[in-house]
Amino acid sequence: MRTGNTSVAAPSGYQRSPGLAGWLLLSPLLVWVALFVVAPTAIMLVYSFGRRGTLGGVVLDFTLDNYAAVLDPTYLKIVVRSILYSGLTTILCLLMGYPVAYYIGRADARWRNLLLMMVMIPFWTSFLIRTYAWVTILKNEGLLNGLLLQWQLITQPFEMLYTPGAVILGLVYTFLPFMILPIYTSVEKLDNALIEAAFDLGAGPVRAFSRVIVPMTSPGITAGILLVFIPALGLYAVNDVLGGGKVDMIGNIIENQFKGNARNWPFGSALGITLLVAFGIAFWFTGRRQQE
Amino acid sequence: MKRSKSYSVVWQRGVVLAVVAAVALLGACSKSPSTEEKKPDAAAPAAPAAAAPAAKAEAKPLPKELNLFAWSEYVPQTVIDGFQKETGIKVNYETYASNEEMLAKLVSGATRYDLIQPSEYTIEALVNEKQLHEIDWSKVPNAKNIAPEYRGMPHDPQNKYTVPWMAGTVGIVVNTEKIPAGAIKGYGDVFQDKYKGRIVVLDDPREIVTWAMATKGIPANDVTPENLEKVKPVLEKWLPLVKVYDSDSPKTALLNGDVDLGIVWSGEAALLYNEDKKFAYVLPAEGAHQFIDSLAIPANAPSPEAAMLFMNYILRPEVSKLISADFPYTNPNLAARKELSPEELANPASYPPGNPKLETFRDIGDRAVPIDKMVTDLKAGS
Repeated sequence: MRTGNTSVAAPSGYQRSPGLAGWLLLSPLLVWVALFVVAPTAIMLVYSFGRRGTLGGVVLDFTLDNYAAVLDPTYLKIVVRSILYSGLTTILCLLMGYPVAYYIGRADARWRNLLLMMVMIPFWTSFLIRTYAWVTILKNEGLLNGLLLQWQLITQPFEMLYTPGAVILGLVYTFLPFMILPIYTSVEKLDNALIEAAFDLGAGPVRAFSRVIVPMTSPGITAGILLVFIPALGLYAVNDVLGGGKVDMIGNIIENQFKGNARNWPFGSALGITLLVAFGIAFWFTGRRQQE
Repeated sequence: MKRSKSYSVVWQRGVVLAVVAAVALLGACSKSPSTEEKKPDAAAPAAPAAAAPAAKAEAKPLPKELNLFAWSEYVPQTVIDGFQKETGIKVNYETYASNEEMLAKLVSGATRYDLIQPSEYTIEALVNEKQLHEIDWSKVPNAKNIAPEYRGMPHDPQNKYTVPWMAGTVGIVVNTEKIPAGAIKGYGDVFQDKYKGRIVVLDDPREIVTWAMATKGIPANDVTPENLEKVKPVLEKWLPLVKVYDSDSPKTALLNGDVDLGIVWSGEAALLYNEDKKFAYVLPAEGAHQFIDSLAIPANAPSPEAAMLFMNYILRPEVSKLISADFPYTNPNLAARKELSPEELANPASYPPGNPKLETFRDIGDRAVPIDKMVTDLKAGS
């Protein structure tokens, strides 16, 4: 969104609406959005009213059956669980990510880039490989259990892999940088004078933090929450690899409709559209709260 | 398609066009990396050749490319290299992880494949929908090597469309260091309270339901609402005992020592046995699912000729032997089996002794939907 606004804003210094040059500059983004956001969503919307094709695929039609099926308790239960899991992931990421982002943002400029680099280095390795690496660490005969046994902290291997805890760990690990980076950008812009003013006016550290620092970094916090919560809700690989496929999240259910026995594309599309609408509402809501 | 005719045809055409255009674009995008990586030299002229109409193939210049769409971890690189070297036909090997994933890409039509590798129930569905190209057996003389029991099977009763690649079973693996070898004879023995948290099973609703049906004496293909209702209590008891659901690599949890029992593909079990003889393979006494993965040519294949050349190539005993060496499933090629080592033939997971009760899957169409829902529901509740 922000990219769109700035591109429009650039020529508007002397012109209210973008001229030809503005539209030209904008066109790659518009084409991209049309092809990879609008078109797939439109296809999904059309599919979600269709009927299941014999070999997969969709027979175009207009039926609401797929949406009725979304409301079945089986799937609602999974939606609720997905929200709980991603909510917990978001909270943990915020609790762990905020101090890190704050520290990096307030660090000496010499160190800042190095520290930021360290947050981003994991991205150089494929996310799936990093997830499988956790299997090696967490399994019964794995690195962590080996260490704990050797230090005689435990006598029996501690079951970590294939538990809900492992899923949360994997999710937090995956999404932590997405919380740190936006908060960092907010912290970096923080005006030190305002914090000093808060202290001068008699605020203690807690009050200065809650009444001054947090409100001023709230755009970063909101962005971080959205960047963590929404993708965490749809991610399915972590559940399969670290959760042993036991804890289905909504992403797994959608995947199964396309790659599993059921070959039920219309239902998968209906699930996708439902999530999309839910996100849209959540996004609009947070956006409005921001403006207030 | 009939049902949709009552709606605005114009609107529908627009949608179809938009869908086709978008899918084609996406397909083109997803295809380009593989093309890039596979032919760094002279890529430009090769691409239009692949897309050229079938008329070209009839003019008899040998096809330049073979688009092979097969299971991941199922076609040895040595076999592909050997074929390329001998024929000069470039093999573009794209992979999938489930029959349904393959179907999804096939019906989207974005990429036209020359050769696919479906399992028996998927072949049946493809044949019913007239999606397969008939094989001209005069071009596949090595078909004589196929064992008689793999001909005329229910999914291809007249032997028109498929060449069996590998067959296998779904059975029980027991870590005999943790559980005495004789203790497990069937599904019922696996799912006992004392093994809670020590079991890996395939992450495949139809497989799981089939096992439960077997314990009630219900044939694998009798998927009816009544029978599903009958097995529901069985699964309610079973699923909470499972530690891991994994179709891709169920051997991992067994090798890592995270579980001691598993219901897995026989090829996985054979690899485990090769790794360590403590992993015993047991075909469930209640009856087991036998699957047959075969090569088939999609109806819209750009060069069926190349596909048939490949079929004939892999049916050579010395080539088929290489496939068995990497992927120790049951080789349906009699001539190749004669070339296997005694150790390979003695692997109980590859070539189960005795005369086990085996059933193949038939296409069950939309009856798969309630299966999927029931297993999802029970998993969520457990």
